[in-house]
Amino acid sequence: MGRDLEKKIWLYSLIIMFIGLVVLYSASYNNVRVGQKVFFDQLGFAGIGIVIMYVLGRIDYRKFYDSAYFLYALNVFVLFLVLVTGRQALGASRWIDIAGISFQPSEFMKLTLILMLGRYFSRRRVNLSFSFLSKTQLIIRDFIFPFTLTLIPMFLIFKQPDLGTALLLFGIFFIMLFVGGIGYRYILSFFIFCLCFSPLAWHILKPYQRDRLLVFLNPDKDPLGAGYTIIQSKIAIGSGQLFGKGWLAGTQSQLNFLPERHTDFIFSVVGEEWGLMGTLLVLAMYFLLIHTAINIAEQIKDRFGVYVCIGIAAILALQAIINIGMVMGLFPIVGITLPFISYGRSSFFVCVFMMGFLLSLSKR
Amino acid sequence: MRIKVFRIIVVILFIITVLNLIYIQAIRGGYYYDLSMNNRIRVVPTEGWRGRIFDRNGVLLADNHRTYNVMVTPQDVKDGEELFSFLSSALGINERVLLRTYRLREVAPFEPVVVAENISREQAIVLEENTYRFPSLMVQESFRRIYPLRENSAHVLGYVGKMNESDINLLEEYGYSPQSLVGYLGVEEYYNEILRGDTGGLQLEVNSRGQQVRLLSFKEPVKGTDITLTIDSKIQGAALNLLQSKIGSIIVMDADNGEILALTNFPAFDPNLFSDPKSSSGVQGLLSNSQSPLLNRAIKGLYPPGSVFKIPVAMAALDLNKIIPATTFYCPGFYELGGRKFGCSHVHGPQNLIEAIAHSCNVYFFHVGLTVGADAIYRYADLLGLGNLTRVDIPYEKKGSIPHRAQNILSGKRWYTGNTLNFSIGQGDTLITPLQLTRMMATVFNDGLQVQPHIIRLIGDKAVLRYNAKQQLKIDPEIFRIIKQGLKGAVQSESGTAHVLDIAGFDIEGKTGTAQSFGEKGTHAWFVGYVAGAKRRLTFCVFLEHGGGSENACWVARSLLEAMIKDGAI
Repeated sequence: MGRDLEKKIWLYSLIIMFIGLVVLYSASYNNVRVGQKVFFDQLGFAGIGIVIMYVLGRIDYRKFYDSAYFLYALNVFVLFLVLVTGRQALGASRWIDIAGISFQPSEFMKLTLILMLGRYFSRRRVNLSFSFLSKTQLIIRDFIFPFTLTLIPMFLIFKQPDLGTALLLFGIFFIMLFVGGIGYRYILSFFIFCLCFSPLAWHILKPYQRDRLLVFLNPDKDPLGAGYTIIQSKIAIGSGQLFGKGWLAGTQSQLNFLPERHTDFIFSVVGEEWGLMGTLLVLAMYFLLIHTAINIAEQIKDRFGVYVCIGIAAILALQAIINIGMVMGLFPIVGITLPFISYGRSSFFVCVFMMGFLLSLSKR
Repeated sequence: MRIKVFRIIVVILFIITVLNLIYIQAIRGGYYYDLSMNNRIRVVPTEGWRGRIFDRNGVLLADNHRTYNVMVTPQDVKDGEELFSFLSSALGINERVLLRTYRLREVAPFEPVVVAENISREQAIVLEENTYRFPSLMVQESFRRIYPLRENSAHVLGYVGKMNESDINLLEEYGYSPQSLVGYLGVEEYYNEILRGDTGGLQLEVNSRGQQVRLLSFKEPVKGTDITLTIDSKIQGAALNLLQSKIGSIIVMDADNGEILALTNFPAFDPNLFSDPKSSSGVQGLLSNSQSPLLNRAIKGLYPPGSVFKIPVAMAALDLNKIIPATTFYCPGFYELGGRKFGCSHVHGPQNLIEAIAHSCNVYFFHVGLTVGADAIYRYADLLGLGNLTRVDIPYEKKGSIPHRAQNILSGKRWYTGNTLNFSIGQGDTLITPLQLTRMMATVFNDGLQVQPHIIRLIGDKAVLRYNAKQQLKIDPEIFRIIKQGLKGAVQSESGTAHVLDIAGFDIEGKTGTAQSFGEKGTHAWFVGYVAGAKRRLTFCVFLEHGGGSENACWVARSLLEAMIKDGAI
């Protein structure tokens, strides 16, 4: 059974990587902004990525249990560094250079958050009938404390400013909490709590960030910036119709209408050049991958493993659905990448690590 | 655990996504296909007008005029050569210049590129009539920044221009486009976020011949917010006239609240040159001028304060109880140290503190300086804000430096008694800005109440209050009163160094300074003072770079005060 799941992970992730490279080749072809270099970069990432997946798959994932808190603290520290060093450049930087390689610590935060929360939630002891802890203490231990630990990196990432990834962390926390079995009434009261605070959250957003959120409700609000991109990407996807215009033949993509088509908007290239056929294939692959991750979660006895599996499934599902929704104009443009397909060193390797974990988990 | 529920939620989300894809691609696919093949979407941006800038009396300092820009949409260019030779002949601009501008500013195929700005109405009409021949050509209404008073307040205002490369990369995240106008220097830069308008525009659907098929959307450009400054352009004008053919700065500040009424430097520049593309030679001239007309000397020029620095020295000595006002030293016209003579301006004979300030006696302050020591002088100069930023709301202020004995020694330099002597009379390595001295004088005038110099009065019609914070220095106010007796003597006693400033009916007080400068260009002239007992408590500073002795500064100050009296400003 374990070997079967392992094979599936390999199969689906390799197919997605392959599709990603084919699409990226097209997205960088004839691209005035980035050029073909991004394709060869990603090809290299894929090569290294497969090796990393293989190696991680052979490591006992319990090792990550041991280092989970350390990795979390380290990542938060690096996020803090980004903010401090980024300050000097007017606070618009998300990257940090370590050993000559620049990467986005915010991407890796998704993974370390899962490990940290996984370890934290899995340590929870069963409540005895004569509980030692009062109800308030329980709420603090099971909810407020882990939520605070999530808010710290969320805040640092939000400050970068990267609203999308900050909200993604929130989504991860929420799903892990939900799957962990917290009472529905707590979830309901948490929702009400969030709702009460949303005007405050709205207030701390910068004006241009508010614009980006509003634009999705009404793309006409900003026909020159984000609204333009939404309209163009809808045209690109829609014009692919059932079977697409063919590889390298998308008029929208090849005529440089889509500014971010090698990263956040790459799905519109899939839609235009491969049509519904292509988009459904990509969607199906993501679904099967998530499905497999959930299957692994169901078979694992160890609670930490379950949490990690669910966390990974949550990241994949949230990113795929938000990104595709964004490109179709169903979600605000918040800068969430499409796993394995969008160009980007950090986001690609985070996906590779997640697959490595799944492989390791599938063997238990 | 709720793994099953989670799986169901994922399934539902995927189904919704699939349904949406089917809707866009299969059901609406034909519509989008037509849009992508036969039609195009074109974006025509319109800059929101920049907020205006007024002086304290409502005089316009910065305004906008309607102009026309020529734009070319890259994706629609069919016959580039013909287009550019047509533009060249219609506008009278070299074809190569046009092409270079075009290539430099091209961002995306759908975004029109401004190839020429500020063309006349007549030219605009000619081009408009020819747009049928060139579908890529567009004439766009725009605005141009105008500074009606030209050089008046140039350094306070700054100028506007198109963003340079590094700013584009930095500011794109914050919603600026490469075509945006941004402020540089002065309040144009400091309050750019408030002044700048919000770009609006049209989104058109055009057919393959470039004709408009349909208006897809319209976003109203939003005008930036007007601001009102504390500046009085009349005083500025008077100051500018007085400085003609000199180099220097004049500052007038309200000691009650830190409002800057005048901040003028000469040489100045005409900010209109920067918003007129035809005057790039004029801008080049400004940049290469050896007298640096772009330099805001009042906040960025670093000069030794000369004898004005005797104020913190006297304050240190009084506050540390090293002297009392009656303490007397004898001035033989020089002070001898190790066989070297440190000179004084005259042979003053016996001097007490009040007289020594009024006569600016160096020998007196050599004695005092040695008694209190360099460290104490540093502390009091620092307390009065010398060598510190004033945090005025004009960008790129310099803080200068006050020599610090311990730091000097740590960095391997020696500190001799001679250094302390020079330090006591504000010569040597002490470098400060005219604005710092103005603020120091206001603090003395206020008996130790330090105000925050600022230039903004209103944003929109809301008063800006954040600069009204005041800070009381922890020094006995009596000490300031003693020093002010000396400052009064400098102007109002027959033998005072600034007696030329004694205008009948007005209580003018202050301190002169003649600062040695390196090289052979002659000394800097200072007068920093205030008008007591008038309807407004004004502090002012006249600084002449290599302007000779301090009496030159006093004469300028006298003319300035007379002009202000005539205007009713005092």
